[in-house]
Amino acid sequence: MISLILRRGALSLATLFLLATFIFFATEVLPGDALDVSLSADEVAMMPPEVLARRKAELGLDRPILERYLGFLGGLLKFDLGRTIITRAPVADIVAMPLRNSMALAAVTLLLALPVALGIAMAAAQAKGRGLDNAVSGAAIIGYSIPEFVTGLLLIAVFAVWWPIFPATITASTDDPLSVLLAAAPLAVITTIIGSIAYLGRILRVGMIEVMASDFVERLHLSGIPRWRILLVHALPAAVIPGLSAAALYAASLVSGIVVVEMVFAYPGIGAELVRAVTRREVHVVQAIALAAAICVVSFNLLADLGISTLDPRTRSA
Amino acid sequence: MRPVGAPVVEPLLSVRGLNISWFSQQGRRNQVVNEVSFDLASGETLGIAGESGSGKSTLARALLGHARGGSRIESGSILLGGRDLVSLAPKALAALRGRDVAMVPQHPLSSLTFHLRVGVQVEEVLRHRAGLSPKAASLRSLELLTEMGLSEPEKIAQRYPHQLSGGQRQRVVLACALACDPALLVLDEPTTALDKTTEAQVLELIQRLRRARRGAMVFVTHDLNVIAEICDRVMVMQHGKVVEEGPVQQVFGAPAQPYTRLLLGSALRVDGASEAQPGRHGSILLEVAGLGFSYARPSLLLRRASTTTPTLTDINFSLGRGEVLGVIGESGSGKTTLGGLVTGFLAPERGVLRFDGAALAGRAAARSIEHRRRIQMVFQDPLSSLNPRRRVGDQVARPMRLFHGLDKRKAEARTVQLFEELGLNADLLTRFPRQLSGGQQQRVAIARAFAAEPDLLVCDEITSALDASVQAQLLDQLAAMQRRAGTALLLITHDLTVIWRMASRVIVMRSGRILEQGETNAVFRTPSNPYTAALLDAATRATRVAEPAFAGV
Repeated sequence: MISLILRRGALSLATLFLLATFIFFATEVLPGDALDVSLSADEVAMMPPEVLARRKAELGLDRPILERYLGFLGGLLKFDLGRTIITRAPVADIVAMPLRNSMALAAVTLLLALPVALGIAMAAAQAKGRGLDNAVSGAAIIGYSIPEFVTGLLLIAVFAVWWPIFPATITASTDDPLSVLLAAAPLAVITTIIGSIAYLGRILRVGMIEVMASDFVERLHLSGIPRWRILLVHALPAAVIPGLSAAALYAASLVSGIVVVEMVFAYPGIGAELVRAVTRREVHVVQAIALAAAICVVSFNLLADLGISTLDPRTRSA
Repeated sequence: MRPVGAPVVEPLLSVRGLNISWFSQQGRRNQVVNEVSFDLASGETLGIAGESGSGKSTLARALLGHARGGSRIESGSILLGGRDLVSLAPKALAALRGRDVAMVPQHPLSSLTFHLRVGVQVEEVLRHRAGLSPKAASLRSLELLTEMGLSEPEKIAQRYPHQLSGGQRQRVVLACALACDPALLVLDEPTTALDKTTEAQVLELIQRLRRARRGAMVFVTHDLNVIAEICDRVMVMQHGKVVEEGPVQQVFGAPAQPYTRLLLGSALRVDGASEAQPGRHGSILLEVAGLGFSYARPSLLLRRASTTTPTLTDINFSLGRGEVLGVIGESGSGKTTLGGLVTGFLAPERGVLRFDGAALAGRAAARSIEHRRRIQMVFQDPLSSLNPRRRVGDQVARPMRLFHGLDKRKAEARTVQLFEELGLNADLLTRFPRQLSGGQQQRVAIARAFAAEPDLLVCDEITSALDASVQAQLLDQLAAMQRRAGTALLLITHDLTVIWRMASRVIVMRSGRILEQGETNAVFRTPSNPYTAALLDAATRATRVAEPAFAGV
């Protein structure tokens, strides 16, 4: 087990290194450098050449590409992500709080959605092909296929306008404590939860149905083992395994990809920050957010792999 | 065994007029158990024999009051200890299961929960069904594992199912089933997934349990030899109906029904000479010397260096023109790999192949077109070896046009001729493979192989997916065609009866090596290897059971 963790950990670090390299070259080297990208064509045309050169030197953009790359990597090791071009603020400071907020939203979503999805999947699998199962499957497809901005706007219309029990948009600021922030954002949480339950429920339902038709469940059933024990002790872990990788990717996408929800509710998360950084052409911030997303995907995958090998002894003794 | 003429006591199990049907999604009804009635007394063992599709497994599950999803017990009664399992409420059924009646399923690996240690799974039955405390359950489970013939039960209990051998797994499943000492034990093909050596050991255990326990057993299997060894009485089923029922010695010794006789005909009887025609020992057609092969395991980045286990080691044999050479072996013996090497699906690692005096390249792609034409193959599963989108007539005509350049008309005429020789109606030419029965599909595959006019035909388990009646007919037709065309056959099978009927010489394989080879008559009558002797002993029980000297009953 320990050797597996080390092996997987090393692979993950290697993956991250490659991703960091790719992100650096993709954002810095291709068509123009960070300064070019942040200035409009008019600005470049009007700026005297020596001012342009001085600003490049300030940002370190006059150094050779390899030196800048090594500097970028060295900075990463010290969590120094550079400074923004316009305000000269450290990128790490700008990204930290929105990242925290997004992770909090994702964590709350998963904590609430996972048990509900599991319960629904188990109930649906029990009633496979009958009314309850069909209703659940249908609802899951609808919940999964309605875009989040529609769900969000619908929730706002119902719970903030017609029956105003929740605020429509979030008034808390970026560095408020999480408790304040999340208390102010019930509709955003509900929106992400609805999508999550639909997605996770679908995956788990299929896994559960497969497992309930397996030979070992039939043997247990024919041994008179209590139903609850078959479901919880035998079937559940077996049903979760195939869905774990997909769920991990989904969790990673929750952290980095709830841009839409964050925009609809003005939630101060990383998605909103990314949109801002892109419109302002803050290359270093975009780099930092891309890296954070990559780290999320890689570490959730690592967690899923370790989870699978904990649950499934067959994957351990290779 | 019940003494003859003794008064019949109240039977433990009494099945009356049982009807079970499966329903397709479209609501079509398919009756698989039809008016089945029988009694079983305590201490008795009943064998239920039948081919796949005879309804025997559905019947076995019904004896626990269970019908799989999509099936339904429509009418009849199953009285176990006076209570009718058909009308019992689910709660009462669950209370019965495991304690009064238990089941040993066919696949021990998939029947155990893969993510739990096997010790936990035995303890679970003891705790939740026998009501033992965790501590007592743990002690008793080790006792049970010991009773099942597992040495070092503490170690075994700590393992996961995939870490055990097939025989060990089935012993664990038996321990689970016997945990509450049920009055009735239902075994559904419990040894079918095991190799012959392990099967013999597990059967020995079941035999021992049968004698030690007071309870009754129902033993479901397609293997008459196993029934001959284990059971007092036998019930033969076909298409859901009971064909014949009675004491094993009586039914196997003097079968009253044609279907029973047919099933027994597919059991091996080594008396008289082998029915196989002696091969024409003219020139040598195929020569295999020092052949070796291993499947390389894929090595992944950062994994341990790849290890290889040899699949075939030092294979030497020769095959004459027009000769039928049988290759006998169990799954994992390397017999299919050998076929793959001869046909060129696989390239040998070591050794040489010579065909008709000339060197034969390893991979089929490297062989000349003529060599590829002269060596043809028929596979176990005809449905997956025939193209599902082409009419079978076109598929048989294709090799003629490809190898012999026949024009469309001549190829069609020759196809019709091949179909006739194999007893296939010319109406079937325009059908697609799915529209044919299993036996017809396999005959199309044989016709396609003969269409190339090969000198050597490799047949890999070509009858193992077929019913006994179809199997016998197909082998007769294959033998006739082979003799007429003078084609040599390499007949790969696990079925000794097929070898006895068809092959003049035989190779016995185990773990990738040849254990012995020689004339079929000599090898089957006086096997020189103990493994061959054990295979023969297991395969002839059904036909020897009626003989007075038979020790098995």
